[in-house]
Amino acid sequence: MSKTFDKFAGIIFLLISILFIFESLKISGSAYGSSVGPQTFPVILGVVLGLLSIRLLYESFRSKSENGEKETFNYKKFGIIFVSAVMYVLLLEIIGYVLSTLIFLIVAFQTMERGKILSTLIISACFTFGVYLIFVQLLGGALPKFPLF
Amino acid sequence: METISYLLDGFAVAFQFHNIMFALVGVIIGTAVGVLPGIGPMSGVALLIPVTATLTSGMPTEAAAASSIILLAGVYYGAMYGGSTTSILINTPGESSSVVTALDGYQMAQQGRAGAALSIAAIGSFAAGIISLIGLILLAKPLSDLALQFGPAEYFSLMLLGLCAVSGLAGKSMTKALIMTVVGLMLGTVGIDIVSGIARFTYDQPVLYGGFEFLTIAVGLFALGEVFKTILEEDGSAQSVTKIKRILPTKQDLKDSAMPITRGSLLGFFIGVLPGAGASIASFFSYITEKKLSKNPDSFGKGNIAGVAGPESANNAASGGAMIPLLTLGIPGSGTTAILMGAFIMYNVQPGPLLFDDHPEVAWGLIASMFIGNLILLLLNMPLVKVFAKIIQTPQKYLLPIIIAISFFGVYAVQYTTFDLYLLITCGFLGYILTKHDYPVAPLVLALVLGPMLENNMRRALTISNGDWSIFITQPLSLLFILIAVAWIIVPIILKLIGRKVIVTDEG
Repeated sequence: MSKTFDKFAGIIFLLISILFIFESLKISGSAYGSSVGPQTFPVILGVVLGLLSIRLLYESFRSKSENGEKETFNYKKFGIIFVSAVMYVLLLEIIGYVLSTLIFLIVAFQTMERGKILSTLIISACFTFGVYLIFVQLLGGALPKFPLF
Repeated sequence: METISYLLDGFAVAFQFHNIMFALVGVIIGTAVGVLPGIGPMSGVALLIPVTATLTSGMPTEAAAASSIILLAGVYYGAMYGGSTTSILINTPGESSSVVTALDGYQMAQQGRAGAALSIAAIGSFAAGIISLIGLILLAKPLSDLALQFGPAEYFSLMLLGLCAVSGLAGKSMTKALIMTVVGLMLGTVGIDIVSGIARFTYDQPVLYGGFEFLTIAVGLFALGEVFKTILEEDGSAQSVTKIKRILPTKQDLKDSAMPITRGSLLGFFIGVLPGAGASIASFFSYITEKKLSKNPDSFGKGNIAGVAGPESANNAASGGAMIPLLTLGIPGSGTTAILMGAFIMYNVQPGPLLFDDHPEVAWGLIASMFIGNLILLLLNMPLVKVFAKIIQTPQKYLLPIIIAISFFGVYAVQYTTFDLYLLITCGFLGYILTKHDYPVAPLVLALVLGPMLENNMRRALTISNGDWSIFITQPLSLLFILIAVAWIIVPIILKLIGRKVIVTDEG
């Protein structure tokens, strides 16, 4: 499995390096007549990354692929938490920090383990209001508010 | 004598009430971070940067910088200590530098000597902390004076050396580590070029003009990456925690561990100063040394106290030693110190030879606070060892979502854009995938921090030499650094070719 990933990663890194060199060359040259401009360093990096990814591809093709032991993944759990994290960011500036954090924590806690609704609610509320009160009231920071307030 | 008066000034800073509090909070959080499996020192420090930035927001810049660095450094060496607790009690190292501690520490716990093992680890950590601080004080001035002589060419080569050293030892494949380094350097080029003012790789997106925020990437790769890993791979098995009976070590224990602690501290300190070789290697070497010097090497692995005292002292001394290149040369030698450096830069304090002249309050305040922090750690951990052992049992179902929430809050409070939050999630995902396939992320973060400085020094050097690249090898010091850098890369390859085992570090 790892070797397939390495081949795939090698190709991706190679493409990135080519794109990077190509894009670096488009950066306009030095403004004050020095021979090294803003594009020199990126071009070098692109070339080095290209060489390294070729080396990576060479290594991954040469070594025999080993059979990794089967691992079990909690795809469902991860998927729900990942999606709710993205939703959290989406909603943060729309429904405010308190509400979005509260919802995210409740969903995430329940995803990790069903049940114990009461402790879930208490812990998420403590965290959310604690952070909000300390940060906004005590320290004078700013977080997105609930639109109604 | 100048040094002593500076140090006294430093103590004046460190003894301010709020700074003692910061040190206290730092080491407590650090110990908790070290104890909790899944959060290492790197993610702990990265997570707390935004929190400290908030806490210190009302203070004048210099004092704010001093206070937050005091807290963050406390987290760093607190975590080094805390890692031993889980190694000893549940045979699961909280971070990679405590792996060898588990060998004898867990055996001691099985024999009912858990308390003795834990307190010897605390005493060893304290002694090591003090020894490495003395080393830091002695070396700080001469090293930064030496570094003041460096021109851009020397700096460029020295940073190159730092990057090569970290890549040469990180992870299983050097090719992968080097790729991560170059990717980090590439990410560092995004944004407005500070020399010419030309926007690079921004594609007219205003959020990219300032470049990628180092903090977001570090929190994402380390903290979120680890959280995602735990969610995906945890099997829900609970570990049984060994009971602690007697806390204080016996006289015989103390006698047996005095020499290992001294040796471990010295060894750890010098290994820590070297870039790339971090606490894991230090503790590993110390274990081997103790085993070699021991009268009955067979007792190692069966609960020999020297096997706990030596490595634990070594990893703490190494974390103190790692501060030296950061403070005096401005070049971090490991992932965690790279993150600390990012924190310095956030406060507009540039670590390096000028730090001791420009911001003596920050530099000496930090050193003095490390004395206090180590003392607090010792006083705190002897009686509270049972409390910290309880932290291991924090249910993951609450811990993981809260880490996500803290990292979101932290990044948003500092950056104020949702772009950084999306970047954070992306980095978390990539961090998990990359680490899983042995692409170490520590070199990437180090390269991201060093990248802009590396490029600036390269361009300055080339401007001085009128574009003649040979300046990097005609300056004797620069040549020396480049030769060492090449050696860091070549020597492991040669060793591998002749079939020797190369020790690699996971913590970077």
